[in-house]
Amino acid sequence: MKRKLLMLFLSTFLLVAHAMAQQITVTGKVTSADDRLGVPGASVKIKGAASATQTNVDGAYSIKASKGDVLVFSYIGFVSQEKTVADAAVLNVVLATDSKALSEVVVTALGIERNKRTLTYSVQTVKGDDLRNSNQSNLINALQGQVAGAQISSSGGSPGLPSEIILRGSTTLSGDNQPLMIVDGIRVNNNSANGTVNRLADFNPEDIENVSILKGAAAAALYGIDAASGAIIITTKQGKAGTLQVSGSYKSFLETMGRTPRQQGIYTVGTGGVYDASSASSWGRKFRYDEKIYNNIDRFFETAITHDVNVNVNGGSEKLNYYVSGGYRNGGSMVPNTNQEKINLLMKGTAKLSSKIELTTSANYIKNNIQEGLGGASEGGWINSILRYPRMNDILEYQKPNGEPLYSYVEAGKEREARISPMWGVMRNPRNNDVERFLVNNNLVYKANDWITLNYRLGQDYTNSKYRIVTTPGTPGSNFGGSVTENNGVTKFVTSNFTSTFDKKFLEDFRATLIAGFSSEYYDNKSLSYTADNFLVGDIFSPNVVNKENLALTESWLRRQRYAVFGDLKLEYKNLVAIGITGRNDWTSTLPSNARTFYSPSYSASFSFSELFENKDSWFGKLRGSYARVGKDAPIYRTNTNLVSSLTVGGGFVTSATGGNPNLGPETTEEFEMGTELSFFKRRLNFDIAYYQRKSLNMIMTPRVPLPSGYVIMTFNAGSLRNRGVEFSVTGTPVKTDDFTWTSTLNAWKNTSKMLQFAGDIVTFKYTNAQLNAGVAATSLNEPVLGIVGSDYKRNEDGYIVVDKNGYPVLDNNNKERYIGNREPEFNIGFINNFKYKQFNLSFLWDFRIGGDILNASRQGMMANGIAYDIGQWRDKEFVFNGVVQQDDGTYIKNNKKVVLDYSYFANNYYSVGTNFVEKVNWARVRYITLGYQLPKTIASKLGFKNLGLELAAQNPFVITNYSGGDPEVNSAGPNAGGSGASTMGVDNGAIPLPRSFSLGINVTL
Amino acid sequence: MKTIIKNITFALVIICACSCKKLDLNVNPVAPVTVPSKQRLPAIEANLAYSLYSQARFGAYHSYYFTTRAGNSNAITDTWNYNSITRMGAWRWHYFDVGSNVNGMVTRATEEGSNNYIGVGKIILAMSYLSATDVFGDMPFKEAYTGTFNPVYDTQEEVLAGVEKLLDEGVAELGKVTDQALSMDATSDLIYKGNLESWRAFAKAVRVRLKLRTVNFKGGNQELLTLVNDALLKFEDALFRYPKGSTSNWTHNTWGPNPPTAADAFQFADIKNDLVNTLPTDVLMKALTVVDGTTPVYDPRLFKLTTPGENNKYLGAKMSEGDKASNLPSNTTYKDFANLQNGYWTADDSPYPIIIKEELLFVKAETQFYLNDLQGALTTYQQAIRLNMERLGVAEGQIISYLGSAKVAQNSAALKISDIMMQKYIALYIQAETWSDMRRYGYSKNAYPDLYYPKYALAEWGGKYIQRFPYDPQTEYVYNPKEIDRLGARVRNWAFKPVWWVDNSTLKN
Repeated sequence: MKRKLLMLFLSTFLLVAHAMAQQITVTGKVTSADDRLGVPGASVKIKGAASATQTNVDGAYSIKASKGDVLVFSYIGFVSQEKTVADAAVLNVVLATDSKALSEVVVTALGIERNKRTLTYSVQTVKGDDLRNSNQSNLINALQGQVAGAQISSSGGSPGLPSEIILRGSTTLSGDNQPLMIVDGIRVNNNSANGTVNRLADFNPEDIENVSILKGAAAAALYGIDAASGAIIITTKQGKAGTLQVSGSYKSFLETMGRTPRQQGIYTVGTGGVYDASSASSWGRKFRYDEKIYNNIDRFFETAITHDVNVNVNGGSEKLNYYVSGGYRNGGSMVPNTNQEKINLLMKGTAKLSSKIELTTSANYIKNNIQEGLGGASEGGWINSILRYPRMNDILEYQKPNGEPLYSYVEAGKEREARISPMWGVMRNPRNNDVERFLVNNNLVYKANDWITLNYRLGQDYTNSKYRIVTTPGTPGSNFGGSVTENNGVTKFVTSNFTSTFDKKFLEDFRATLIAGFSSEYYDNKSLSYTADNFLVGDIFSPNVVNKENLALTESWLRRQRYAVFGDLKLEYKNLVAIGITGRNDWTSTLPSNARTFYSPSYSASFSFSELFENKDSWFGKLRGSYARVGKDAPIYRTNTNLVSSLTVGGGFVTSATGGNPNLGPETTEEFEMGTELSFFKRRLNFDIAYYQRKSLNMIMTPRVPLPSGYVIMTFNAGSLRNRGVEFSVTGTPVKTDDFTWTSTLNAWKNTSKMLQFAGDIVTFKYTNAQLNAGVAATSLNEPVLGIVGSDYKRNEDGYIVVDKNGYPVLDNNNKERYIGNREPEFNIGFINNFKYKQFNLSFLWDFRIGGDILNASRQGMMANGIAYDIGQWRDKEFVFNGVVQQDDGTYIKNNKKVVLDYSYFANNYYSVGTNFVEKVNWARVRYITLGYQLPKTIASKLGFKNLGLELAAQNPFVITNYSGGDPEVNSAGPNAGGSGASTMGVDNGAIPLPRSFSLGINVTL
Repeated sequence: MKTIIKNITFALVIICACSCKKLDLNVNPVAPVTVPSKQRLPAIEANLAYSLYSQARFGAYHSYYFTTRAGNSNAITDTWNYNSITRMGAWRWHYFDVGSNVNGMVTRATEEGSNNYIGVGKIILAMSYLSATDVFGDMPFKEAYTGTFNPVYDTQEEVLAGVEKLLDEGVAELGKVTDQALSMDATSDLIYKGNLESWRAFAKAVRVRLKLRTVNFKGGNQELLTLVNDALLKFEDALFRYPKGSTSNWTHNTWGPNPPTAADAFQFADIKNDLVNTLPTDVLMKALTVVDGTTPVYDPRLFKLTTPGENNKYLGAKMSEGDKASNLPSNTTYKDFANLQNGYWTADDSPYPIIIKEELLFVKAETQFYLNDLQGALTTYQQAIRLNMERLGVAEGQIISYLGSAKVAQNSAALKISDIMMQKYIALYIQAETWSDMRRYGYSKNAYPDLYYPKYALAEWGGKYIQRFPYDPQTEYVYNPKEIDRLGARVRNWAFKPVWWVDNSTLKN
């Protein structure tokens, strides 16, 4: 295939045409078998000669040829046709779509396109259109359910909140678990600094041609140092030679709140059953009949509108093609005072500089300004203040008409400790994250001859980010005098890599492909931040209006350099057997000089057994297997300890809380994968099944460490873990007629993990960012990695809860760190369906999750506060605990003592027990439903358009779940929190529930 | 073909050769690794004050100065339940903020030949260890700072021996100061302005405090008396002073109304100030009441230690019961209590006490009392009260009238140990040292006549009094489970196990 294209290419552009005798002019029209419309830009060439042309807008062509010449008609996505020139000067051709061709080539590591037939590892591709069907502005969210083995969770539904993707389970307990992100061959920034949105969300889904997901280490092995967690390779659209095409779209979204936790509406504020206005907790007496009870959660969230406009221009000639696009998004959120303004401009062009040299250049400008009302909660807990706000107070009353804070409870002289509606903070203390980003990417390809290609790529991802939090004077708390913190930083990723490809067939049926290359990657992050407290002028939030002693300035400069040389050798025999070997050696600046280089090999093979059969064209069967071992380096500057200046009296310097570790070594990931691909009914039904086992050895973590070491935080090689799983993907076209097509994809996967080994004596490692005391997100030795530990009730040998003689269940005194839950789902299913009937197109994605525990810290907080729904149901009621009472002779009898569930019971018994807050959750949800209608071309053209489409869609329209809280998709602290989602995936600590949104779109092609 | 391969190889070699040296950039270009010792000492002293505060912030409640305003809450200070904490700040403040910085300074000072800084550093570390082991008991000493994540926990007896060794070494260093040493003055030594004589006396005072814990069961009252007399000769108050009128929370006393800002100091380091939601206890109010009745007469120090509440009333709340305690009139609010903020020790610019002279005098009085020198004890006791009143700025006339009141023992025959301990209680207002005293006496009515068991301490403690802090749950229980299990520190009632010197104390009951 590749070779064919190459030939086509060469013959079209490289050879010089020369006149021939007895030529006639052949004209005609190339149409598509699908819609009987002209195919613009199709190639028409004379077989074995240099002459070639292209069809025009209407699919018409004209070429000079001699009688007897063979004309080859081809176009991407269609089966090529050959026609011999006879006497007739008119040759009309109908091209049939090629269902094979599009799925045949996949983009793999370093952007290498490979034939899927002989691919030796698992790569899943998601087409841009499938991404766009989900109508998610964050690319990561758009991948939800589309990839078997990808665990995606968002920190909540708000434009500024990050989403996290983990392929095949967590590979490290703290630190980045996310795959490497590559856009058009260069590494891009996907940080979510300060708990803001993950930066991949800056990219415009409209520009995506396709996304390749390299799930395993073998697939990503050529990326070496970053391959441990897999890679996501994003390819943007590019210009197509042919006519100029202008298209545009407009979408408008209406966003409303999804599923929220419930509150009780029976008891008002106070403690111990006594009304006390000074108390923020709802442990007071019952509301009186004439007291107003506010439904604060519903009152808080709004309905918001988002506008999204996109335009793109695409076209080109033989020597030059281009793609130019622009996007503008003005996003609202159901969280008040939260909005987004995003601009994307992409220009991409490919020029053929000579017969052998091709240059592709792209420039992508992104501006993404996000303001968030709920901010500053880098450890989760976004909406806890809303969930717990007393219902006797109206959450919407937060300021006086003159703009001063309106406290809901205040004591004279103690305004700093006053209570105020969380709406004050939302409206007056937002956080802003303004990003301007500029990516440039140059790719020079030199085809030395028909089997040697040299490729050099130089690109830079430049991000200028401003992060700012303001506290308006009068805000209760430690910044009562007002405060502003601003960080201005520039992040650069400079990727430079060179590859040489040698692709040669020999001995008739063998083919060898050798890729050798070199890469350099430089990371640089320089930022300056200031914090200014106590404004002298209350309405100017600037360091200019504070005493200089209340101004702190910090500079940070992180640098990292990596080099690598790599090679990839692939041998193929027919389409039957393929063997691949890759090797890569990395050098990194972040490890001590004695440990800074390491080698990452991979070995893989495939066997397409269907090739052995005669009817091989009607089905396909392949077995594949691979093994890879890749190394990973450490975070920057973790090999020595620095001093930081002290703000205390007398100043001077103190040891940084983060201690250096001169003994750091690389982390290693070993992965073994086996799989099969099966295809039946002429590719109408396809299966892809994979089994993998991945071990992460000596993983590098940066957690809090024992203080007697002299440090608070340190980076060290902390242990080893294993992930094991199965991925199953079936794609089919159950129905295909002229008018009606139904395609369907089902992705199902399961991952299990186990902590194999810890450094030192560690048995249970708890995470900082999931701060619920009774139960804690943690990893325990020999247990699943995404575990929950906590306390339980005392149980007798038969497992019954022991109840004391007063009738209350007894807490287990001895083990507060029992393994009580696994946050990893037992099973995931994504089920995508696409129906096409005439001009209509309906697609939807069902997402099922079976099992997986949630640590419901939101509920614990609400119970402690007395406002949880359960408190209203049970408080002060009589109850007989289901358990056993130990008798004096040691035997147990069933408890039958009635007790009252009072404050003391809840406070000192119920919510000291972790198991009370662990819920095994299942869900079935529709991620999106999108209904499209394409106006018939005849009508569209009357309106002046080539195409005109309308779209009606819903995102996250409903979820069916047994979860007692809000939306069960929770990841309280997001990917950045003290490391990663291993820490807070499945932890609901004031998570902002996902919104439900509805959209209306129109798209046109001129 | 050959040329191409040659060219590729050549290009690779060139690129590699040009760039490979750039890998040595894992050093932060904008942060120092070491600075002269004189630039380390101020922050070490500031951190020592924070560290003592991190102990006192609970100690002040456990020693019945304060109780939580709401009462019957699930606050640690009401329930004595430490099982739900995420972090234990006091652990960090000692080992990291004080200890690690002292070690860094000592390393640099050794290179510089600044024996003065080495000596002062070791004495400060000794003080920090002593205060830490008082609240934690057994803890790593020998294997601390060796790089291990699972150090052996030394017994408290060994830790105290280590403290003495640090004091010895520190004092020895102070004797070896040459002209080579960097100067130490008021800008680098915020406690003693570089006066090494004061540091020697301070080292003695630390030793006095240490000996006081064990003298009751090890004997040696006479030696202790000699030691305290020696210490008193040249002792100056060890105070960490905060500037007047500073608007930066970082340069405020942690007990003040505007303590260091939340994000860095409170959450991350677990060092919180909750005075605004705190009330004085009836124990404290009784100690500060000279004549009870409808128009009570108060100790003049009450008005120095606290500021008037809104209703100008001075009620005392029962421990753990807050403003709803049954002993209080109905409709009592926080306005009916003294305001704990902005007192002598609780204002933004209050000095933070490390060791004050009154403490030494009360130790002397207590020692004299047990040596049966009751007349001597009485004199020292009255001297200590006077000193404290003078410190707080009480007018001379009021001092005389207080000293002559029934609140003060007037003759040696009438002098009880509780007189000494309750006056020490007032003088060492909200210092963690009072909690040590109280534990040494087993919370007995003998020494503290007004104590009672808190109503809302959890029933599961079985009537036992709070004895210590748990280790930091987020680190020690994670990295050092074997030692934690060996000590038995994993049980819910660990905080009720007396530390070694309390366990051995003969003064309980």
